Amino acid sequence: MNMLSASILFTLEAMRDRNLLRPPGTGPEHLFISRCIRCARCVEVCPYGSIKIARLLDGLSATGTPVIKPRGMPCYLCMKCPAVCPSGALDRRVRSRREVRMGIAQVKKQDCLAWQNTICRSCYQSCPIFDEAITLDGALRPVVDEKKCVGCGICEHVCPVEPSAITVKSGGRRWG
Amino acid sequence: MGLTVFRRVTQVSAIAFIIAIPLLSRDGITFLAGNLYSLAIGPVTVADPLIGFQVIISTLSFEKTLLLSMIIPLCLALVFGKVFCSWICPQNTISEYIDFLSRKTGMRRLFLMPVTAKPRYVILMVLFLLTPLAGFPLAAILSAPGIISLQPVRYVYEGAAGLELGLIGAIVLAEMLFARRLWCNYVCPIGSFLGIFRLGMTLKVVHRGDKPQPCMKCLECVKACQLGLNPMGGKIYPLCHNCGDCVAACERMNGPAKPLSFRFSRNA
Repeated sequence: MNMLSASILFTLEAMRDRNLLRPPGTGPEHLFISRCIRCARCVEVCPYGSIKIARLLDGLSATGTPVIKPRGMPCYLCMKCPAVCPSGALDRRVRSRREVRMGIAQVKKQDCLAWQNTICRSCYQSCPIFDEAITLDGALRPVVDEKKCVGCGICEHVCPVEPSAITVKSGGRRWG
Repeated sequence: MGLTVFRRVTQVSAIAFIIAIPLLSRDGITFLAGNLYSLAIGPVTVADPLIGFQVIISTLSFEKTLLLSMIIPLCLALVFGKVFCSWICPQNTISEYIDFLSRKTGMRRLFLMPVTAKPRYVILMVLFLLTPLAGFPLAAILSAPGIISLQPVRYVYEGAAGLELGLIGAIVLAEMLFARRLWCNYVCPIGSFLGIFRLGMTLKVVHRGDKPQPCMKCLECVKACQLGLNPMGGKIYPLCHNCGDCVAACERMNGPAKPLSFRFSRNA
């Protein structure tokens, strides 16, 4: 049954890539959406106001679920929300920020200042997994390590280019 | 203090709490947190049992926290019946008020429907079948109390209400124009699910026409019933919310030795 629902949701998901970034502790999107009871407890506990409530326009299956728009306010990985989630949609076993897998940051090289030969280290310096998730290559250009990136979106938030030259592609992976 | 007054006070405080909790949470007072989807009272969490059940059947996983948080509402239903509906649910409060206004103004609805539990259980079964296919707890977008209690949260944290409030608007319009107490009597899946959890000992309204005081068929209880049920005829469950308005009306007419009363025991 779960496989069936997953396949249907995947089909729908493939038809429309919503790219909704979820709070820390989430696994794959279809599991999150079936576990979340839309209670917004994570929204209430978030001290930065990072977590918003998805609207009806974000899709019927996403209505009421928590979503993070990192350009507005990224996740600062305080890890308060998995602890209050009553349904296990946010896995409360995820306690350390390194275990979080909300998404993966992607650098748009054609927009990135550093990749276009202007000095900029904004994303590199603000990354909470410092010098691991984002490293600088020989020419001081940012490179994302997909294994280390937690997807918090702080890099997307601080990028001086408009629109941001580094964006988080959502999609919880199995952490660890 | 009469039962009816006590219930009104509870209903109004429930709405006051729904508005106050997000305001207090924002200021760091988090002993009470959440809304009618999920509430945290200190370390104890409570969650909507229907949505929780749908999460379980659609994921086939048994999250301990979720199961524990479903215990309190289910025990409340097993002991006192659907008192959540009549004493707490803000949608019921709104619907009762609309019904009161309609009765006062003498507005007629388009349909006069017999009150029966069949449609609501068909709807609940369809929801159970659709939920694993949809891949998310469908009851969450149909929970009128949940949607209402989420709006103060939305307002405090985002500064605007959500479009899902349209469902509440539709319910209000339908109850004004189409049929009396349309949502609570025929649709609401949250109430239907709570209504399943009944035992012989669950609190019920019992009518004893012969003793200790003969029923004089004044029909005050029928007039008082918020849902349009007939407490004298029996067979009011699983629809009855145990609001106690009929018992209070009976007491007004007949004094304490009234024919209608609340009972826990199986035999009246």
